[in-house]
Amino acid sequence: MLSLGTGGAKSSKPSFVSYVTPEEIKLDKDLPKKEKHPDLLPGEVVFCSANPILKYTQDDLSQRGVFGTLFCTNFRVTFLSDELTLEETSKTFKNKLYGENDIPLMCVDHIYGVYDEKRKLITGSLVKNKYPSKIIIHCKDLRVFQFCLTFTKEEDTKKIFQGIAHHCLEEKSLKCIFAFSYAGTPSPEMQRKRETIMFESPEDWTQEMKRTKAKCRLVTENENFELSQRLPKYFVIPSALEDLFSYQEKGLPIWCWSHHSGCALFKASFPPMTQEEGDFQMHLDTMINAVAHNYLYSVKTEDLSESLPTILDIQQSYNKFKQFFLIDNSTEFWLSDVKWFSSLESSGWLDIIRQCLHKAVEVVECIDKDNTNVLVTEEEGTDLCCVISSLAQIMLDPYYRTLMGFQSLVQKEWVAGCHAFLDRCNHLHQKDKECHSPVFLLFLECVWQLVHQHSPAFQFSETYLTVLSDSVHVPVFSTFLFNSAHHRESVMKAESPPAQSGTLSCPTVWDWSVQFDSKAQNFFFNPLYSEKVKHEKTVRKPHKPKHQRQLSLPSSAFKTPPKKGFFKEETDSLKKMLRVKRISRWMGSPDSLVAATREFYESWQQRPLDYHGLLLPCLDGPAVHVWMQRYVRWIPEVHIQGGGSMAVMTKLMELLSQVQDLKNLLEQRDASQAAKFDHRPHRLFSFGSSGRLSSSFPFAYSRNRSFKPIIPTGLMQSLMVTDNLSSQEDEAS
Amino acid sequence: MLTGSKTTFKVRQLVPDMKERMMSHSSLHARGRDVLGLCCLPGECVLQRAVLVRKKLSAKEGGGWLSGTLFCTHFRVAFVPQDSQKPDDNADPVLLGDHDVALASIDKVVAVGPSRTKLVTPTCSLKFTPEELVLYCRDMRVLCFLFDRLTPDTQAVEITYTIAKTYQPLKPGTIISFQNAALGSIEMKQFLSNRRRDPTMNWFESSLSWEQELERAGATGWRVSSVNDRFEMSTSLPRFNVVPQRVLDTELKKTFSHFNEGRIPRWCWRHPRGSDLLRMASFQNNIYHEKDDIRNLESVLFGGQQLCVIVDLGEEMPSPADIQLAHTRLRTLCLGDISSSVSVPDDKWLSTLESTRWLDYTRCCLRKAAEVACLLRGGHMTVVLQEPEDRDMNCVVCSLVQVMCDPHCRTVAGFQSLVQKEWITAGHKFLSRINCHRESDKEEAPVFLLFLYCVWQLWAQYPARFQLTEDYLLALHDSVHLPLFSSLLANSQRERCRRSQHLPQSYTPVNGLRELPMGGPEEPVDPPFPPVWDWALQYSSQRRVRFTQAVSQPACPPPVLNGNLNTNLDRGWHNDGLPGSVFLLSRSTFSHPSNLLPWRSGNSGSYWKSHRRAPSSESVSGLERLIRACSLSEPSENSTALHDPHEPLLPLLLGPCVRIWRSCYLRGVLHAQAFSHPVSSCTQHPLEQLSWEVQQLREKLAQASNRRPENQTKRQEPRQLESNLNQNANNGTFLFSYSSRTSQQQASPSRGASHSSVPPRAQRTASDLPRPAQRNNSKHTFLFGHQQEPQSGQPHIPSPSAKLPKRPGNTH
Repeated sequence: MLSLGTGGAKSSKPSFVSYVTPEEIKLDKDLPKKEKHPDLLPGEVVFCSANPILKYTQDDLSQRGVFGTLFCTNFRVTFLSDELTLEETSKTFKNKLYGENDIPLMCVDHIYGVYDEKRKLITGSLVKNKYPSKIIIHCKDLRVFQFCLTFTKEEDTKKIFQGIAHHCLEEKSLKCIFAFSYAGTPSPEMQRKRETIMFESPEDWTQEMKRTKAKCRLVTENENFELSQRLPKYFVIPSALEDLFSYQEKGLPIWCWSHHSGCALFKASFPPMTQEEGDFQMHLDTMINAVAHNYLYSVKTEDLSESLPTILDIQQSYNKFKQFFLIDNSTEFWLSDVKWFSSLESSGWLDIIRQCLHKAVEVVECIDKDNTNVLVTEEEGTDLCCVISSLAQIMLDPYYRTLMGFQSLVQKEWVAGCHAFLDRCNHLHQKDKECHSPVFLLFLECVWQLVHQHSPAFQFSETYLTVLSDSVHVPVFSTFLFNSAHHRESVMKAESPPAQSGTLSCPTVWDWSVQFDSKAQNFFFNPLYSEKVKHEKTVRKPHKPKHQRQLSLPSSAFKTPPKKGFFKEETDSLKKMLRVKRISRWMGSPDSLVAATREFYESWQQRPLDYHGLLLPCLDGPAVHVWMQRYVRWIPEVHIQGGGSMAVMTKLMELLSQVQDLKNLLEQRDASQAAKFDHRPHRLFSFGSSGRLSSSFPFAYSRNRSFKPIIPTGLMQSLMVTDNLSSQEDEAS
Repeated sequence: MLTGSKTTFKVRQLVPDMKERMMSHSSLHARGRDVLGLCCLPGECVLQRAVLVRKKLSAKEGGGWLSGTLFCTHFRVAFVPQDSQKPDDNADPVLLGDHDVALASIDKVVAVGPSRTKLVTPTCSLKFTPEELVLYCRDMRVLCFLFDRLTPDTQAVEITYTIAKTYQPLKPGTIISFQNAALGSIEMKQFLSNRRRDPTMNWFESSLSWEQELERAGATGWRVSSVNDRFEMSTSLPRFNVVPQRVLDTELKKTFSHFNEGRIPRWCWRHPRGSDLLRMASFQNNIYHEKDDIRNLESVLFGGQQLCVIVDLGEEMPSPADIQLAHTRLRTLCLGDISSSVSVPDDKWLSTLESTRWLDYTRCCLRKAAEVACLLRGGHMTVVLQEPEDRDMNCVVCSLVQVMCDPHCRTVAGFQSLVQKEWITAGHKFLSRINCHRESDKEEAPVFLLFLYCVWQLWAQYPARFQLTEDYLLALHDSVHLPLFSSLLANSQRERCRRSQHLPQSYTPVNGLRELPMGGPEEPVDPPFPPVWDWALQYSSQRRVRFTQAVSQPACPPPVLNGNLNTNLDRGWHNDGLPGSVFLLSRSTFSHPSNLLPWRSGNSGSYWKSHRRAPSSESVSGLERLIRACSLSEPSENSTALHDPHEPLLPLLLGPCVRIWRSCYLRGVLHAQAFSHPVSSCTQHPLEQLSWEVQQLREKLAQASNRRPENQTKRQEPRQLESNLNQNANNGTFLFSYSSRTSQQQASPSRGASHSSVPPRAQRTASDLPRPAQRNNSKHTFLFGHQQEPQSGQPHIPSPSAKLPKRPGNTH
């Protein structure tokens, strides 16, 4: 029999096909009958398995756990308990693709092996003949699994350890990714009408331009990627730009969004540096001129690679940050508690979020207050440009705060906008560390801050964002698998089976029914969302506030020194003539960073809040929060029984559903008045009793088995010492 | 327009000798109403006023600006919005309006000019016309007034001066004139003497109230001793103390000398499982123990129990000085003072917050209380809290334990009784700790504020288990800084009793005080001080409505009659009479050091002859297991256990769970509250929208069922819901009702009315259309999805006191 692990080690160019031979699949079936098999997805194949494996519960007070079988398939590492589990039926928020004991291969972040009580990071090149007694798997969605391998036959241990290590850690080629095995089996849901605008056809773009009343030009010349492989199939450029072909891939200002005043937001990568200095300058001028032409000859440019952290900084900071939440056992977490805030801060992650939001607010200020065109630039034009431009659009345009709008935005700026998901997320476990960076997660974090601060303005909930951040690492969807539109198209063409005429189609992540049933999808919606109701005023007498808010009066007490240096005026005569302002340099101390936009923020704050207008985040020290739902959802120690924001949400959703029920009742009785009430789209909210929910509600699943220590740090430590003593006493007596 | 200003401008000249002026004017303005709309208290005079001033509103108040007139009286800085409603002249006086701040709670006055800011002190001179006036308060509020261009320059300058001169932060003795200004007039005295005390709460000022408490807790074997009735045994202890039944008063008298300040072990509370919670000061070590003494001491310590655990709070808990330092740091961090140029950069905010150690201390107190709560749960022991002075941390931990374990203490009345019991009568040194008189800075320590923050942490984690709300805690927090209340103006009950001697008898309705002979000279300048619990004095009814949860009230368990949930076990064990083992819980471990009880230590010798049993190490681990068993209990396994009212409410204290009290500490930072935005006129808050929808549906249903129910009632309810929901959503919490009954007795009349109107849940299947009789019920069902017993017995009467704010959403 072919040993999987060693096979993988020998093969320098790993390829998925070579590992599974028909014999092996048969072998798996010949395993003893008592063993259960995981419910395989279509296209999923089991590579190897081992039994019995002990899976520890996360609480490490006593080495408790569950025995079962560990499988490694081409989609996931899965653990199947020998005991009957009850929670499957009771779970309201169940992912159809993978369960609580499944780890999609792409989701594995690090694997540690415990050798003689010592924890070692397993890398692909680790010694092959020594096997750990325990493996610890850290997932990208911040789950932690611990499996004990000592109860298994040595041969099985070898097999499963090497299998997991190989499939999770080794560099592999794109075609091994499960999506291509899965894609061959289209599910009926995929045929249904899509509401999310995919920005894959010229019509999508023209419609978007129409919606924002933009006066730009749609470029269709790149339909077959003749212009550039790094550019989208279709894109929109300023109408003043004529000679497309002088741009070689780079330095083309791409339209993002237009303000109702007429000014617009553009993004661009740097023009190629190889040209001569004069050419470079000329190129820059043409670019700026073209953008300036769009509205009133005014433009501000911002070089993001200068003013924001690099993608490497982002990666390092996130790595530090997530360590606080990847807890092997509760003891560790108890200990981390003492320096909680300062350790959070030292990672710098919250500060990066603040900087990004701040930059986006600056951009919004230029567009909304000064009505100038803004051009954001960056080396590649597909990382931080995407973050800033999408954040600015969310702040400016209420459409992007709806669920469909948000999905369209991600599609427009990120997917069609050629963000290199494959490289940045490191789906292929490449060793080259340079290009990995959780840029998309950073964007979601920033959006979460906005959602957290102004939840009624958003149609989607934080649960939606959390699920979306998880879905990046589920290798089923085509959305996050490719580096660019060209990459997607070429891979899809190459991978499609010759028998079929069309190209291969994977579900997009927006097909939520692939992962969740409609009941669970209700959690994506924010029950507090204040929808825009148009006919409302006729029905209801608007309440007038007793006092008129004064907009003209600025607060001098909180007045900050006048802005310096952010949008500096260029002395160049040509640009002066054109009233071009150029952001030159990142200036000043961190203090002035906040001070610059404070005035803008305060004048906004003095206006009555309109959830369907401009929305700005507060960026003060205490206002930037940790995304608790995403980060602590698997840590039972911090779950508050019967509390937390999620419990509030569910209660509200219940309320809404009851209102809905009553409406239906009325409608049935009195059909003539039905239309009057129908401004809220009908959603079915119902799920069991919300009574005993914990603060991590839709995600915490292991409640039944968790031994939740409530007594705080100091005592716990001493108890863990005495626990051994007392148990020894018990045995003796 | 300035007709009324003649007197006030004249008055301004007399600012330096305010007292004299006060005397002369107090009879003039009896309940007078200033021309520009300020409703003065009796005897209150306007010293200065500025017209066309704008007040910056905090986000909770609605954000933006409010224009009106700014007044400075010798009691408060008042702001009257331009179009405020004329207050009812016959209404009871409220000391502070919604926009007012008492001079005594002002900490700093800062004037902001066109190009500079200046801290205004009574002596300094202002060289510019202020554009803006910022008042920093001791309760962490920041008030910000802006002078319009139309405000006369002189008015702007003068009022700044007046405020700076009048609030006089550091001078001792000024407090009396302040109190006189508020409460000193004849009308005010009269009014105060006619106030009734809140009968729903327990004041612990008579032996009867202690007996009620014993009965409520179901404690047997204890009696109320009045041996300290004249404060002869201990000056700082209350007049009545609860001691074991079998210790006679004569025996008891001998024990006082063995404790610091004579603070003997006193019973505080009995856990439903039969453990008793006691508190005491540390032992006096250099006293010879007679054999009889030892017997009495041990009886006092053990009560009726076999096992005694002494919890030492002296060492690991923060000292008052630590607390003061932490609080000072927290203030500087949170206030964002513009007069000092120190500001914390945003990216260092969290670590600065951590380095204040305020959160640490909270955690420490909650942890200790959680340990004690778990210990009590084991049953059959006395847990004695010991602190050298027994006047600071014992108060904190003892009351926190009760908040955790006793649902009654989570209601407003119960909480007030608790503070009355464990703080006010027990002799917490409020006067020195709060330091209102600015006499001794080194004694100052906001121990009580630390306690309030601990309670807030519990509330924030389990809002559904509290009847009181954040607004209530905030009101109490702010009142602490107002030196007007008898509850908070004395160091012990003795001082308080002495002060109230010259009051008319009707003010102290409970028996007791008049038996006491008059002692010491009276200070006639002292006005009568009301108790802090008289909320109507300070807050309008709209704001008081928000002190309690209206959506639901946590179920109050029936009083445990025998005080013992597991009575069947070891009944004879109790009356054994032989005191048993003593353990020390310190630094989270149990031990039994030989010198724990001074009389048991080696040199006295008499102990070991009479007691054979030595504490063994097995019982140490047994105790530890006890705490652990509690901490590892699985709430979800047994879902009823989670809502068993006798289960302690254990707080989560890990880093991510301990949060900062935003609506208190950060309310001064005007731009830090983006998330609690005001409801604008054009967009309804979704909850308002929802409640509006509910109301519409009700009307529809009423139409459909062809019955016209009383419209008045129907309209009031959604309002109530709206205000509550709104409030809760802003706080990020929501209330769940699991209770099948509401405790009507505790509720104010408006509460009671709103609750009796919530009918049982009806079936809502489409096919099962309710008959007209049921329909009336089903109208309400979607509001509260919980099971509720039909309370058909109670007639549904809209209470006249259930007035609700015009626009509740806007005031949050």
